[in-house]
Amino acid sequence: MPSASPSTSSGRPADLVSRLASPDRGARLRALRELKNQIIGNRTKKLAYLKLGAVPAVAAVLADASDDGDGDGDGDGSCCCRRHDLLVQSAAALGSFACGVDVGVRAVVDAGALPWLRRLLVSPDEKVVDSGARSLKMIYQSKLAPKYDFLDHQNLEFLLSLLNSKNDNVTGLGASIITHSCQTSAEQWALYEAGVFQKLVDLIGGSVSQRDASLESLTAIIKNNHEVTPKILEFENGRALNLIIKFTIDKSPRTRLLACACLIAVSKTSSRYVEGIELESKLIYRLLELLEDPGQVGDEASFALSSLIEEKEDLQKLAFEANAINKLCFHLQNGLSCPKRLQGILQALANICSKLEICRSKLLDLQAFDLVSDALRHDCTDIRVAACICLRSLSRSVKNLSAGYFMNETVIIPLLQLLHDPSISVQLAALGAISNIVIDFTRRKSNFIHCGGVKLLAELSMAMDPVVRSHSLRALKNLTFLADRKCKEVVLSEITASALASLIRDPESAVQEQALALVRNLVDGCVQSVDYAFTENGIILDAIGRQLQYASKAEIGIQGMYALSNIASGSKVQKDAVMDQLFQHGGMNTQPFIMRFLHSNDNQLRTASIWVLINLTTSYCPGAAGRVLKLRNAGIILQLKSMVNDPCLDVKLRVRATLSQCMKYGDSTM
Amino acid sequence: MAQVTFLVKLIMRGSSKKVITKEDWEKRLNDVKIRKEDMNKLVMNFLVTEGFVDAAEKFRKESGTEPDIDLSTITDRMAVKKAVQCGNVEDAIEKVNDLNPEILDTNPQLFFHLQQQRLIELIRNGKVEEALEFAQEELAPRGEENQSFLEELERTVALLAFEDVSNCPVGDLLDMSQRLKTASEVNAAILTSQSHEKDPKLPSLLKMLVWAQNQLDEKAIYPRIKDLSTAKLEDPSAS
Repeated sequence: MPSASPSTSSGRPADLVSRLASPDRGARLRALRELKNQIIGNRTKKLAYLKLGAVPAVAAVLADASDDGDGDGDGDGSCCCRRHDLLVQSAAALGSFACGVDVGVRAVVDAGALPWLRRLLVSPDEKVVDSGARSLKMIYQSKLAPKYDFLDHQNLEFLLSLLNSKNDNVTGLGASIITHSCQTSAEQWALYEAGVFQKLVDLIGGSVSQRDASLESLTAIIKNNHEVTPKILEFENGRALNLIIKFTIDKSPRTRLLACACLIAVSKTSSRYVEGIELESKLIYRLLELLEDPGQVGDEASFALSSLIEEKEDLQKLAFEANAINKLCFHLQNGLSCPKRLQGILQALANICSKLEICRSKLLDLQAFDLVSDALRHDCTDIRVAACICLRSLSRSVKNLSAGYFMNETVIIPLLQLLHDPSISVQLAALGAISNIVIDFTRRKSNFIHCGGVKLLAELSMAMDPVVRSHSLRALKNLTFLADRKCKEVVLSEITASALASLIRDPESAVQEQALALVRNLVDGCVQSVDYAFTENGIILDAIGRQLQYASKAEIGIQGMYALSNIASGSKVQKDAVMDQLFQHGGMNTQPFIMRFLHSNDNQLRTASIWVLINLTTSYCPGAAGRVLKLRNAGIILQLKSMVNDPCLDVKLRVRATLSQCMKYGDSTM
Repeated sequence: MAQVTFLVKLIMRGSSKKVITKEDWEKRLNDVKIRKEDMNKLVMNFLVTEGFVDAAEKFRKESGTEPDIDLSTITDRMAVKKAVQCGNVEDAIEKVNDLNPEILDTNPQLFFHLQQQRLIELIRNGKVEEALEFAQEELAPRGEENQSFLEELERTVALLAFEDVSNCPVGDLLDMSQRLKTASEVNAAILTSQSHEKDPKLPSLLKMLVWAQNQLDEKAIYPRIKDLSTAKLEDPSAS
C-alpha cells in the first residue's frame, strides 16, 4: 500500500512515470491507478508529474489501448477487461491533469490525446464513455482547449449527437463545448439553425448537472446576438424565458446564479423582454442574496451584478435602493481571503458609483473609502486595477473633489506608485483615477506636486504605449485646468517645451489631441501664461501650426484652435505670431487650415476657429488693422459673411461679433 | 402526514383560540386522505439516501416502488462511507476516484477533510513520524493552495504537539464523531454528483409538522404530537 512518500525524494515519482511504459499491461494498469489516485485533488502533485512528462506517457497508454481491437491475440476474457480498465484509468488520469490546471490542459492537447478521448465516446461500454466524456469536459472548461468549429457541418452533427445522448456526462460535454467555443454571431446563428437551443431548453428541465450546463450554454448562444435572442425567447410563447426565470429561485445557489447570468445576457441584448416584468429589479435582489454564499457562487455573483448595472443609471439607482452598497461594503469589511471576491466587490462598487452621487456619498459615509485605497497596494494585479477604477468613480463626486477629499497623501502616494506598476492596465487605471483627482478645486495641487506627481506624469507622457501617453497627458491637462502660475511652471519644466512640441506631432491622434488640450490649459489666462507657448523659440506654437495644417480629425482642430485663441488673447507680438501660424504653413495651393475649419460640419470646430478670429481682430490691441487686412485678403472675412446665419447659435453670434469688430477697419465693397 | 395537512388547513382558517377534543381531532384526521404511493416514495427516498441497500431492495420487491436511483450505485457509495467510518481513508479515496474521479478534483474542501482524516488516523495509531511526513507533504500544500484551510490545518497539526492526545484541546478530532462527519460529507458529495438530493425528504416533512404545530399553538388547543418517533397524539390540556 503506497504510503505518503515525499515527492521530493528522487526516483519515486519518476519511477512511477517510467512504469507507465512497462511492456506488462498489468504493471501499466497499476501504475496508472497509483498516478491517478495521487494527482486527484492535489494540484501540487499534478504540477510535479507534469514536469516529469507524465502526460505524454499516459496519452501513449490510452492510444495503445484504443488501438487494440476487441479481444486481441490470446482471446483471453481478462485481456479485454484489462483493456477496458486501461482506457478508463488513462482517460481519468488525463482528465484530472486537465482539471483546473492550464498547464495540464496544454500538455494533454499537445500530447495529441483529444482524438483518442473522443473515440471513447462511442464505446459500447458505459464506463468508458463516462470516463472519456468527463475528461473532455474538464478540458473544455479551460480557455486553452482547442476551438471547436461550429461552422463545420460534421462538427455540428457530432455536437448534436452529444446533446441527444442519454448519458448525463456526454450531454454535459456537449454543453461545455458550446460554452467554451461559441463566440461569434455566425456561430450563434449556426447553432440556432441546427436546433441546438431547443435541445438545451429541454435539457434545462433535466438533471441538476444538465440544467446547470445548459443554462451556461444558452447564455453563450444568446450573448450580444440581436437576431437569435428574440427567436429563442419567443419560442413556444416564451416557454424558455419562463423556465429560466423559474430557476432564479431554485434551491441550488449555482443554478440561481447561472439563471441570473442568462437573464442578464438577455437584458443586455434585447431589453424589451425584461421591461414590464420588473425582471431587472428581481435580478438585483437575487444577486445581492447570492453574494452571501461563501463559495465560488458568491464570488461570481458580484461580477454578475457589476455586469448588470454597468452604464445603466436606472439600474444603479435600483441597486442603491436595494441596499446594495451596504451589502457590498459589508463584504469588503469582512477581511476577504479570496482575491476573486475582492475584485468582484470592488468592480461592483465601481460600477454602482459610476454615475450617481447618492451612491458615492453612501460609500463614503460608510467609511469604506480606506478599504478601497488599501486595495491599491494589494498583491493581485486585477485587484489593483479594480481599486483604481473604483477610485475613479468615486472621484467623479464634484462635492468631494471641491472639499479636497481625495487630494491627500494616503491616496496620492499609492496611486503614484502604481504609475510604476509592471502592468500596463494598472498604470492606465491609475491614470484614470489621477485624471479626476487633480481637478481639485481647493487649489491644493501643491500636494500632488510635492509627492512627485508631475514628474511621474511627465515621464509617462513619453511611454512606449500610446494609450499610456495620452492618458498621462490627459491627467496633466486636468491638473493645469485653472491652475496657478507656480503649478503651470512646474508642469512645463518637467515635461519641457520640446517634448510637448513632439507630442503635438505624435503619430497617434489621441496623443496629439491631449497634448494640444494641455497647451490650451497652460496658455489660458494672463499674458505670462500665453508666454509659455513661446518658450524655446516658440517651438510649441510652431508645432501647433504645423499639426493643424495636417489635422484630419475635428477633435485635433478643436483643441488646437482653442489653444491658438488663448494665445491670440495676448499682446500684439503674440497675436501677430498667431497670424503667422495661420498663413505660413502649407504651400501656395493649399488652403489655410482656418479656412478648412470654417467650412467644417463640426459645430465646435467652427466655433473654436471663430474665437481665434475674435481675439485676433479685437480693437483694444494695436496692430488690429493690419491683421484685419490680412484676413480680408485671404478671403476669411468673406467666408465669415457667408456664415452670418450659421445654424449653430454659438457660431452665428461669434461670427457677427467678429464682423462688427472688423467693420471698424473699413470694408471693401462686398 | 395527515397531521401536517390538517394543521396547515386549520392555521389558514385563522380562528381564535379554540379547544379541539382528541375525539374530534381523530375524526378529522381520518377524513384526510394520503396516498399510499406517496408514502412508499418517501420511505424509498429515505432508504436510498441513507444508503440502506438491502432494505431498499426488499422494499422495492415488496411494495413495487421504484427507487429514483440505481441501487447498484448505493452499494458503491456505502462502501466508501463505511471505509471512512472504519478509518480506512486511503481506501475510501481510491473508491471515490473509481466511482467518479471528478468528485475530489472539484471539491477541495472535501478532499482536504479526507486528507485531514488520514492524518488523524496516523496519529491515532501512534505513527508519529509518518504523520509528520504526511502533514508536510500532503496537508501543507493544501493550505498553500487555499488559505481558508489553514486554521483547520493548524488545529490538526496541533495534535502532534501533545503527549496525551485524548486530553488535549483539539482532542475532539480523535472522536468517532469526526469520522462520521467526514463520512457524511463524502456521502453527500457522491449523491450530489449523481444528481440526487443529498438530504432525504422525511426530515423536511417532520420539520414542517413542528413548525405548523408551533403556529397553531397560538390559535388553538388541540392534540399535539410531542414525540416524533411515536407520533402519539397528546391529550389537549387547557394551558
